[in-house]
Amino acid sequence: MSDAVLVVGAGPTGLAAAHGVASIGRRVVLVEKESVLGGAPILSRYAKLVPSGEWAKDAIGRMVKRVEDAKLVEIHKGTKVTKLDGERGNFTATLANGKTVQAGAVILGTGFTHFDAINKPEWGFGTYPDVVTTTQVEQMVGAGKIACPSDGRTPERVCILLCVGSRDRQIGREWCSKICCTVSTNLAMEIKELSPSTDVFIYYMDIRTFGLYEDKFYWKSQEEFRTKFVKARIAEVTVAPDGKRLLVKGEDTLVKRPIMIAFDLVVHAIGMDPNEENPEIAKVFGVGLEQHGFLERGEHYTSTFASTRPGVYVGGAALAPEDIDTCISHGLAMAMRAVGDLNALAPKAA
Amino acid sequence: MPIHEKTLIDPKQLLQTDNLVVDGVDVSGHWNTMVLPRTMTDYDPDFYKTIQALPGGDNVHRCWQCGSCTNSCTMYAINTDFNPRYWIYLTNLGFKSEIVKDKDIIWQCVSCNKCTNICPKDVRPEGVMKALAHWLEMEGHTPKSKSTVFDEEFTRQCLERGRIEDTEVMFNFFRQTGQSIGGMLRAGWLRVMIERMNKIHLLRRGELGKFLARLPMRQGLKMGWAMVFRPRTRSWGRTGEVLREYVEEQKRAAHAKIAARAH
Repeated sequence: MSDAVLVVGAGPTGLAAAHGVASIGRRVVLVEKESVLGGAPILSRYAKLVPSGEWAKDAIGRMVKRVEDAKLVEIHKGTKVTKLDGERGNFTATLANGKTVQAGAVILGTGFTHFDAINKPEWGFGTYPDVVTTTQVEQMVGAGKIACPSDGRTPERVCILLCVGSRDRQIGREWCSKICCTVSTNLAMEIKELSPSTDVFIYYMDIRTFGLYEDKFYWKSQEEFRTKFVKARIAEVTVAPDGKRLLVKGEDTLVKRPIMIAFDLVVHAIGMDPNEENPEIAKVFGVGLEQHGFLERGEHYTSTFASTRPGVYVGGAALAPEDIDTCISHGLAMAMRAVGDLNALAPKAA
Repeated sequence: MPIHEKTLIDPKQLLQTDNLVVDGVDVSGHWNTMVLPRTMTDYDPDFYKTIQALPGGDNVHRCWQCGSCTNSCTMYAINTDFNPRYWIYLTNLGFKSEIVKDKDIIWQCVSCNKCTNICPKDVRPEGVMKALAHWLEMEGHTPKSKSTVFDEEFTRQCLERGRIEDTEVMFNFFRQTGQSIGGMLRAGWLRVMIERMNKIHLLRRGELGKFLARLPMRQGLKMGWAMVFRPRTRSWGRTGEVLREYVEEQKRAAHAKIAARAH
């Protein structure tokens, strides 16, 4: 029996899991396919995180450092697991770099993929340079300047379209991506902070700033930063008659009237897709996918964070759209599960 | 094809020609009805600040359109065109022309304040209704309300003379609101009031002495004298002028405060 735990993915989930396992005295092998640790918040250069308001590079950076400094954690960057043989207590993982890893349990923190807004062509992403995604605005905020990519001007009017790649049967995304509402209301405030003369409009179907994000983000954005909330699902984004701005067309469902409003910058609040590598991940690790393409949960109540393969655990945004704080809790919970299960196996092996 | 739901369409958006022949086909009347699009093409994102600057409108920007105000509304129960939620939305996005369309309904708010009590975001919709009615009046979309006419006359006398003359306030109020004093004296409530106050039944019963004894002669003379000579409060001087300036200053300061907070 191997007493090490293999953690796959070094985003918030994997980092929390790796540190969790190491902190209770087990060896960890952390495998990350990218050349840097930190996952989406670092790779996509997020600005300030919800809800802490801390810069991603600081907050996630601390998590990375904590794992890098942990003596019991062995890190493999820029490589993937290509094969997982064996069973609970005795796995052998083969890495793309040729190495093999022995582990008693496997934790999957393989995360998600940002929705590619080009799959909603009617909303203009990929066609017009001034249609951008929330990720791009995060990067603008990180750089300290909000500007239209076409000519660098400061936008007078910005609209954020919610549910881009979420809650849309048309493109097979029948889920709510959970965090985009909160992220968008937060971005609206950050835009206003960087450019007080800019008016920000949010086009929504519903606002789902769950739990304590209600007043801290939604209400604050509306009441203190004067973000305008318009209930409309946009039909299409084209060019305004002046040839410069973008024309947002749709129906204002509260006024029951068509709208054609010009904006300088249109932001897609992109949702969370299942990791695009999930089919491969499912094959390599021998775990199931649920109907939307995320990794499938096993029985949750007494076998929390189980996948469909004994000894392999799955959590964070690999399971479903998830926020960073919850991912971190999942990671720590999976560490507890993995080590607990290995301890239970130990007497049998002896 | 005739349009069956014409009631849902703004009459100004309907085009129809009584006599029209196209390519030899008679398409007169409803056969040629066209509906013009009602597309909204711009927002006025600062309009809400105008409403906020009026008493009652302070919290209008907080609304998230749950509809509790409309659902609890006394007036909505009677007339479903009375929709506070809708007007608050129009205010926040600055669709002024749409608000003006409802100018003859908005003032009907009865201030029962059920909306204010139920509003989860403390928008105080009753105040917003007042502010909107006020704005419509200020912009000349609705005539001055009777209470505004009364207030103005009352204030004018206060500032000019440091006192009001009841008779003159009422006299000018009736005159400015087009209520015929002569008519009311002959047949209206004014006649009834004067008769009862002066116990005219004594006179009708022939008890002239009793009647004269309790007739407010001195008060009547005083009223008549004041109407003619319009006395000012002793040593009133420039007080009115100073007061008027002060009131204007306070108004400007209040508006500036609200505008500053809105930024």
